[in-house]
Amino acid sequence: MTKDKIIIDSNLSSFFSFKEVLKYKNLLGNLAKRDFLVRYKQAFAGIVWALVKPLMSILVFGYISSKISDTGNTATNFLYVASAMLLWQLFSNVFNDVSNSIIGNSNLFSKVYFPKIVIPLSTILVCLVDFFISLIILVVLFIISGQAVNWHLILAPLFILLTVVNGFGIGLCFATINVKYRDVKFIVPVILQFGLYVTPVIFSTKYYTDRLPDWLHWLFCLNPMVGAIDGFKYALFGGDAIFNVNYFIASIAMSFLFLFIGIKYFYKFERNFVDYI
Amino acid sequence: MSNEPIIKVEGLSKMYLLNKSGIPKSDTLYGNIRNSLQNFKNIAKKQETSDFWALQNVTFDINQGDRVGIIGRNGAGKSTLLKILSRITPPTKGRVEISGRLASLLEVGTGFHGDLSGRENIYLNGSILGMSKHEIDRKFDEIVAFAEVEQFLDTPVKRYSSGMYVRLAFAVAAHLEPEILIVDEVLAVGDAAFQKKCIGKMKDVSNGGRTILFVSHSMASIQNLCDKCLYLKNGEMVTYGKTDDVIPVYLRASQEVQLLKLYDRTDRTGNGKLKFTSFNLKNNKNENLVSAQCGDFLNFELEVNAVSNLSNVIISLGIDDSMGQRVTHFSNEVTNQVFEKMENGNHLIDINIPKFPLKSGEYTFTLFCTVNGDIADWIQEAGTFTVESGDFYRSGKLPPEGQGSIFIEHSFILK
Repeated sequence: MTKDKIIIDSNLSSFFSFKEVLKYKNLLGNLAKRDFLVRYKQAFAGIVWALVKPLMSILVFGYISSKISDTGNTATNFLYVASAMLLWQLFSNVFNDVSNSIIGNSNLFSKVYFPKIVIPLSTILVCLVDFFISLIILVVLFIISGQAVNWHLILAPLFILLTVVNGFGIGLCFATINVKYRDVKFIVPVILQFGLYVTPVIFSTKYYTDRLPDWLHWLFCLNPMVGAIDGFKYALFGGDAIFNVNYFIASIAMSFLFLFIGIKYFYKFERNFVDYI
Repeated sequence: MSNEPIIKVEGLSKMYLLNKSGIPKSDTLYGNIRNSLQNFKNIAKKQETSDFWALQNVTFDINQGDRVGIIGRNGAGKSTLLKILSRITPPTKGRVEISGRLASLLEVGTGFHGDLSGRENIYLNGSILGMSKHEIDRKFDEIVAFAEVEQFLDTPVKRYSSGMYVRLAFAVAAHLEPEILIVDEVLAVGDAAFQKKCIGKMKDVSNGGRTILFVSHSMASIQNLCDKCLYLKNGEMVTYGKTDDVIPVYLRASQEVQLLKLYDRTDRTGNGKLKFTSFNLKNNKNENLVSAQCGDFLNFELEVNAVSNLSNVIISLGIDDSMGQRVTHFSNEVTNQVFEKMENGNHLIDINIPKFPLKSGEYTFTLFCTVNGDIADWIQEAGTFTVESGDFYRSGKLPPEGQGSIFIEHSFILK
């Protein structure tokens, strides 16, 4: 019999332990499976719904973009918007679901001990499954338009990961605040709605920086999703998606800053969540 | 190594902050900003909070294989203690050392999801309780057999009867194989046969050398299962020792509290729209009785106070024997006599029992009232009364001692 000694004391902070999460990987998988199964139970069209939402946005914003934007070709415009929109929706789902995950599962950790980080981690899995289903749209668009891809494509998973990091880091901060202040559920959609228009989804980063005053350029690029989306576009289409490397790096640095703050903040209060729920 | 206690608790305390004004601390950002602005303007008006020690300086050791019962009245800190040991909430002071794998069962069916099938829920619930996939695979058939839900494995559990639901939930938990098992009164659900099965299962578990911590209000279950007992009162440990020594101390103590007048009792829950203020035993001539007599007419007279005009009032009274086992339950809901209207002010309510059927002994009663479906007042162990033996069958004879605890009117016919 292995004796692992557990010490419980009033020391309030704990920290992320990869080993412990690994011990609970079964729970992680099952929570994700539950969320996924439950979502489409008793829905006739089932998983098709995962395609409808991104498809609608792509159609609407793709059309707007091709009317306004300065890159003449309509097909390319749709592709650009589609790739950015899918990534943005991944971010928006991760951000939103992670920030609600702790509250939504309070009935679990108020009765059984497990590392609470498992909950937001499991929501990521669900969002990723949705994302990969919605990638079908992109593949179809690529085939229709006959757009070629090159070796850059191998970089794409990195920027998908970066998007998840963004949603997770910021989401964790809000998940923690959410435990005490339920205002979060109203704030997050507002941030996301605003965020869509200050992120190069409909237009390119260049389109924005050409039109914004100089002093706003940096502020614009401190948005962590700028780096993820520009990088993803670069991986898919190459060209000048990353037209300013400094902005690109700044944005990626912000991603990791948010991840660090999110984890730190989460673990600062994690042990006391039950007393505030 | 084997002499080392498996659980070592030292000076454990847990404090909660309560709001003195009775107004809950604001739960919105706006509210908090507003409050702190007010506080800034007038420091004297600062929200008064008071400390509440749910658990205070509790120290004890549990050895491997001990079966420990935790007893105490509501609010004594039993659940808080279990929550700290289960690592659900951290202590404010003190320290616990646990050497071994611990599983806690504070609720049956944690994480059960109505839309998922029985099979899916077994895997989900098992993993929440800390079982690996391999472990669940291995025990799956046993769990299904224990719960008796074979035919319904692929039905969503929301279509289960409540009995099936509870059986399945307990079955998963019962097949955990931790070295230490913590159980909080989850056995209070399910029918008697199933409860017996559960106790049996827990005995099996502990016979395997495993350690059990068990919270219950039922002295009979505690006596049946536990060899040691920990008695908590107002967050402090009163005594810890052999079950047979601790239970009498507890029973004596709970009778002391009951000498308080009902309206002075503070250990009540509910919204207070209606409150129980006094209780009397009366005979059919409306005279007060010191004790009830078996076989005689008995009237439980309750005095209640309604703070406003109420509607849809349901009153119930449950009777427990000296072992804490529920014997019977009276309610104007089951007799179809719900009080549709009750004006504000004091009222007397009579519960008439033409022929009181319980054998002699000490009994405890619990009072419960709902107004429009919300709990208005609920006093557990509201009081005790004595039943004297009496000539139930009007024959001058009584059944021998040990032949059950209730009397039922019956007759024999030779044909």
